Amino acid sequence: MQRYSGFGLVKHALSHHEHWERQWRNPTPKKQYDVIIVGGGGHGLATAYYLAKEHGITNVAVVEKGWLGGGNTARNTTIVRSNYLWDEAAALYEHSMKLWEGLSQDINYNVMFSQRGVLNLGHTLQDMRDIQRRVNANRLNGIDSEVLDADGVQKIVPILDCSKRARYPVMGASWQPRAGVARHDAVAWGYARAADALGVDLLQNTEVTGFKIRDGQVYGVHTNRGDIEAKTIGCVTAGNSGVLAKMAGFRLPLESHPLQALVSEPLKPILDTVVMSNHVHGYISQSDKGDLVIGAGIDGYNGYGQRGSFPTVEHTLQAIVEMFPIFSRVRMNRQWGGIVDTCPDACPILSKTPVKGLFFNCGWGTGGFKATPGSGHVFAASLAKGEMHPIAAPFSIDRFHSGALVDEHGAAGVAH
Amino acid sequence: MSESALSRVNLFDSRADHASVAVESPLAYSWQRSGAPAPSAASRVVLREQTFLGHLILRGGAIVLDEALREVLDIGLPGRPNTLSWDVSGERSIQWLSPDEWLLIVPGGEAFAVERRLRERLADASFAIVDVSGGQTLLTLEGEAVPELLMKSVVYDVDPSHFPVGKGVNTVFAKATVIVRRSGETRWELVVRRSFADYCYRWLLDAGEEYAIGVER
Amino acid sequence: MFQIYCPYCEELREEEEFHPKGQAHIVRPANPEACSDEEWGDYLFFRDNPRGIHHELWVHAVGCRKFFNVTRHTVSYAILETYKIGEQPSVTAEPAVSESTTSTDDVRQGVRA
Repeated sequence: MQRYSGFGLVKHALSHHEHWERQWRNPTPKKQYDVIIVGGGGHGLATAYYLAKEHGITNVAVVEKGWLGGGNTARNTTIVRSNYLWDEAAALYEHSMKLWEGLSQDINYNVMFSQRGVLNLGHTLQDMRDIQRRVNANRLNGIDSEVLDADGVQKIVPILDCSKRARYPVMGASWQPRAGVARHDAVAWGYARAADALGVDLLQNTEVTGFKIRDGQVYGVHTNRGDIEAKTIGCVTAGNSGVLAKMAGFRLPLESHPLQALVSEPLKPILDTVVMSNHVHGYISQSDKGDLVIGAGIDGYNGYGQRGSFPTVEHTLQAIVEMFPIFSRVRMNRQWGGIVDTCPDACPILSKTPVKGLFFNCGWGTGGFKATPGSGHVFAASLAKGEMHPIAAPFSIDRFHSGALVDEHGAAGVAH
Repeated sequence: MSESALSRVNLFDSRADHASVAVESPLAYSWQRSGAPAPSAASRVVLREQTFLGHLILRGGAIVLDEALREVLDIGLPGRPNTLSWDVSGERSIQWLSPDEWLLIVPGGEAFAVERRLRERLADASFAIVDVSGGQTLLTLEGEAVPELLMKSVVYDVDPSHFPVGKGVNTVFAKATVIVRRSGETRWELVVRRSFADYCYRWLLDAGEEYAIGVER
Repeated sequence: MFQIYCPYCEELREEEEFHPKGQAHIVRPANPEACSDEEWGDYLFFRDNPRGIHHELWVHAVGCRKFFNVTRHTVSYAILETYKIGEQPSVTAEPAVSESTTSTDDVRQGVRA
C-alpha cells in the first residue's frame, strides 16, 4: 500500500497526480475463505480490517451487493458521540470513540474526524432531569459530558434562539466536547484501503442469495458470482439484515424504516458544533464544505425504498427553523433516505445466531455511523474467537427472550 | 321508562350561565389579545363565533340512535361517512364522525334537555352521550374566498367541487385538528377545540389577511 | 407521500391524518401466564420485516380515529389494499416458495432466534 503523506502529495504533484495507485484491488472471488463478511459498509469493512490487523486473519472476503460504503454509510449525518445512559451501551460507544480518536493515523487515511462537540438540548424540566441523569451516568463511566444552562448553550451557539419567547425555550443542554462529526465516505474508503492492503478481498457487485447450512453449521454462501465457502460468516447488512436472517431460517426483532436527511446550499461557516433536540425533534451540523446537514426521526412505517415522506421533511425543517430562525430562508439542496434497522430497545444486535458459525451485527437503528470503529473492533474479536467479545456480549439476540434489554430510547432519541 | 337507566348516569346541567356565573367562550382570550378586525365591503371572508351552542357526542348503533333522534329532534342520522344533516329550522345539526360516533349541535341551552330526552328514549340500549359543549366552539366562515383560505390551512381537499354542501370532515388544520363542514354555498363551519381555539383564530386572521377577513362579534 | 383509502371514511385521505402502528394481525397469547419466555418474547418483539408485501395496522388518527389494516409493498410503497379490523387481506405475498437457493440439506425450518 502506498502510504499517504504530505510529502507524497508534493511528489505526485510533480507528475500532475496521474500516478496514484488504486486504493484497493478488484479481486475475483476465491472458492474458500476463513471468514466471509456480508455487507461492505463501514461496519463490515471495519470488521474485516480489525480481523486482519488485530487477529492476523487475512483470508477474508467482504461480499457487497452494490459498491463499498454505498448504503447507510453514504447516507447518514455523520454525528459521532458516546453519551449513552446505560453501562453496556456507554462501554460500546465509548470504545468506539477512543478508536475514532486515533483512526486517521491508524488507517493512514484522513477521515476528517472533527471533535467539535455535540449539544443535546433540553426544553422542559423533564428534559433537564433526564439530561442530568444521563450526564451523571456518563461521568461515572468516564465519558466527558456536562450539563449547561441556557446561557452556557448560548455562548457555544450564538445563533440558537435561546430567548424566553421561543415556542420551546431552551433550558439547557448536555454537552460532550469530544463528540463531533467525521467524513462518512472517507471512513468506508479508509477501512477498505487498509483492509485490502492486509490481504482482504473486497468483492463488490456480489449479492448473497442464500446460505449453505449443514447440521446447523454454516459453511458458505450462495452469491450471484458463485458459491463461496467459509466456516465463519458475519452479516453486517443494516436494513437488509431481516432479509438475510430469513434466508438463514430465523427471525430478528428488527423493523426497517426509512430515515431521511437533507443538506442545504453551502454557507459561510456559521455553526461550529452539532445541535440536537429530542423535544423539538431535529438535529443539525455544518459540514466542512459549508452545507447544513439536517436530520430528524424515522418515518413510522416499514420501508426499504431509501426515500421517505414529505410530511417528515416538513416536520424536520419546522424544528430547525424553530431553533434557528436565522436559517428560515436557507434553501435545501438535496434530500435522501436510508434504511435503518431498528430494534425494540434502540440498541444494536451483536450476536451469535441459532446457526453455528453465523454471526449478526445489525440493529444499529438511526445511529450506527458513530459506532463504526468500535462495532468492527468487537465484532472482529468475536468472529476470531468464536465467542462474543465482552463489550458485545450484552447485545445478544437472547435479550429479547430473557428480558435483559438495554433501553437507550432516551439517549438514542431523535437522532441516535 | 326508565328511572333505572337514568339513575345510572350523573346527568346535570353543566351550563354555567344557568348558575349565574359569567361565561367566556373559547375565543374570549383571543378577542382581548388579538382583536377582531371589523368586516368591510372588501371582506371576502367573514368569521363569526357561534358561542355557547350545545355540543353532544353520541355513540352507539346507528339504527337505535337514528330512531331516537328522529323522535326527539326530527332529524335523521346521516348514514354516509363525512356527511351531516340539519333539522328543518337549520339550527340543529348532526354529523357523522366515525362509524359509531356522531356530533349533535343544538342551540345554546338545549343540550341538557336534549340529552335527557335522548337518554329516556334510548333507555337500555347500548349507547353513550357526552356533553362536550365546554370543550369546543363553532366558527362560521362566510364568503366566496373561504375555500381559498381553507386550502392554505387544511390538508383535506376543500375545492367546492369535492366538498359539497352537507359534507363535514375531521382533518389537520395547520398544526392542530378541526372539523370542517360546509353548511351553504358560501358558508363553511369549523368546529375547534377550546385549547386550539386561540391558535386557530390567529392562524385564520393571518391567513385571511389577503381576503380582508372581518370578524363579526 | 401516501394517499390512504380509509375503509371507514370510504375515501382517500392524506398521509398526515394517519399514524402507522406496526404489523397487523398480531394475536396476543390467550394465556400470557402459560407462555414460555420464548413465546412471550416473540409476541412482544419479533415482527415480520419483509422486503415486499406487508400487512400493517394504521389508525386514522385525525379523522374517524378507527384502526384498520393496510397491505403495502415495502419497496415500491404501493398500497395494495386497505381493509377493516377483523377482515382478512385479499392480497398476500406469494406463499413462501424457495426464497433462497439454499440446498436441501440445509436446516431452515423450526430454527428461531
